[in-house]
Amino acid sequence: MNNHHSQGQQSSESKHDDDAALTDFLASLMEYTPTVPDELVEHYLGKSGFQCPDVRLTRLVAVATQKFVADIASDALQHCKARQASIVKDKRDKQQKDKRLILTMDDLSKALREMIDDKLPFIFPFSVWCQCEAPGVLRRQSFGWVGYCH
Amino acid sequence: MNNGGVNTTTGNETKADAPSGRAKADDFARAVSRVAVAQVCEGVGFESVRDSALDSLSDIAIRYLHDIGKAASFYANISGRTQCNVFDIIRALEDLGNFQGFSGASGVSHCLASSGTVMEILDYAQSAEEVPFNQSIPRFPVARDRRLIPSFTQMGETPPGKHVPAWLPALPDPHTYKQTPVWNERKSDLRADKIEQARQRRNAERSLLNLQQRLAQFGSAGASTSNIVQDHQPKELKADEGNPYLTTPLPPGEKEVSSVNLPVILSNGPTRENSLSVLETFAPAIEAMKDRFCEDGDGDNKILPPDKRPAIHFKFKTGKKVFGQSSDLKLHTKYLSRPVALIGREEERDDKKRRAEYILRQAMENPQELTQM
Repeated sequence: MNNHHSQGQQSSESKHDDDAALTDFLASLMEYTPTVPDELVEHYLGKSGFQCPDVRLTRLVAVATQKFVADIASDALQHCKARQASIVKDKRDKQQKDKRLILTMDDLSKALREMIDDKLPFIFPFSVWCQCEAPGVLRRQSFGWVGYCH
Repeated sequence: MNNGGVNTTTGNETKADAPSGRAKADDFARAVSRVAVAQVCEGVGFESVRDSALDSLSDIAIRYLHDIGKAASFYANISGRTQCNVFDIIRALEDLGNFQGFSGASGVSHCLASSGTVMEILDYAQSAEEVPFNQSIPRFPVARDRRLIPSFTQMGETPPGKHVPAWLPALPDPHTYKQTPVWNERKSDLRADKIEQARQRRNAERSLLNLQQRLAQFGSAGASTSNIVQDHQPKELKADEGNPYLTTPLPPGEKEVSSVNLPVILSNGPTRENSLSVLETFAPAIEAMKDRFCEDGDGDNKILPPDKRPAIHFKFKTGKKVFGQSSDLKLHTKYLSRPVALIGREEERDDKKRRAEYILRQAMENPQELTQM
């Protein structure tokens, strides 16, 4: 607890800068209109108990979700392109047919599997995480799983 | 939550080919997320998307959204708040982060605004091109205004029993669960009908009284003869105050019944029209009265030969109401006091019988008034 107090005193000086950074961050975020509509985000956040009247927060969540989906899609795209490149090497007849980039279940599952394998500790069920880490959060302890997968 | 009609239509469209075509509450949101995910994929670089892949990816996106909400609300609750703020969201994003570690994860007192999560999101927002959702979506789920059942106090009723507070919704009307008597709301018409019936009966009785008087006066002088039959006697008939039965009898072979109507139509007199209408109206009543007269048989009535029917001459004397008035009033009050008696033909016959007897008695008792009429 003593460490925490000393660290708290030091961080209070930089809080003003942090607040400014935060407001800048939110302001810059509002310029971007996410593809995921606000109504959809609000619907699912309301279902899960998230309560906030601020539009900027829903935009933040919308952008985060869009980034998530875009990451998976881009991984799948890389898989698709890699497969097409390998096919072109073997057979030149199918080159024109496979020019179209189609998101298929195969590419998607590959991308997801990669993501799970890389980030297993982060995708672990949240309820289990709550049971394990909640006491640590209350005691202001650090996240206990950093470096778990190594 | 109720998605209303909007949801079911879109649900039916998307699940038209599905074997279990029942629309769920979530279908509209799922359809919207499918469109959004498809747009994101298009922005990433895909030219087309398979249906199964799109369903899976949209499902993953929905779960991600749901998990962010859960984590953020968890962090808010743990901090003793019910409403989430930006720090809760950042922490939630860090928990669900899909990146390999982030800067500052081990530190506790760092500012969340400068965490790796936030940086990545900012980078994405700045780098990715803006592709807004291509359709406008209404706010859902749609909250309908429900018409609540009014309470006891609003209805102005007292609840049955002390155990029921007055602010509760009122009980349904008894006609909704029980068969209650149905009242035909035509009271005024019924009363007018009764009055009209009584008036018509009075007129019939007055005319029958006339008949009886003439029968009594002229005895067997010729009850079967009629002055109406003769064509050359319309003037006499019009001003008739005297002896309609002293006219020339019918030539043999002529029937009176059929010819009664003709002169009435030809003369076109107001009195004749009245008598015609009354004659038509009271044909059954007259038949009934004739039968009764035959039955009573005080000696004044003649048993007529079957082929000759007595021609009845009606006279409406509005001026003289000495006798008629009292009987009218008496009959009127009698009818008003007994509305139930009007129903049923047997009861009507009994009343008519009683009235006929009464009229005869009155006729016997007051010979002077008869001569006036």
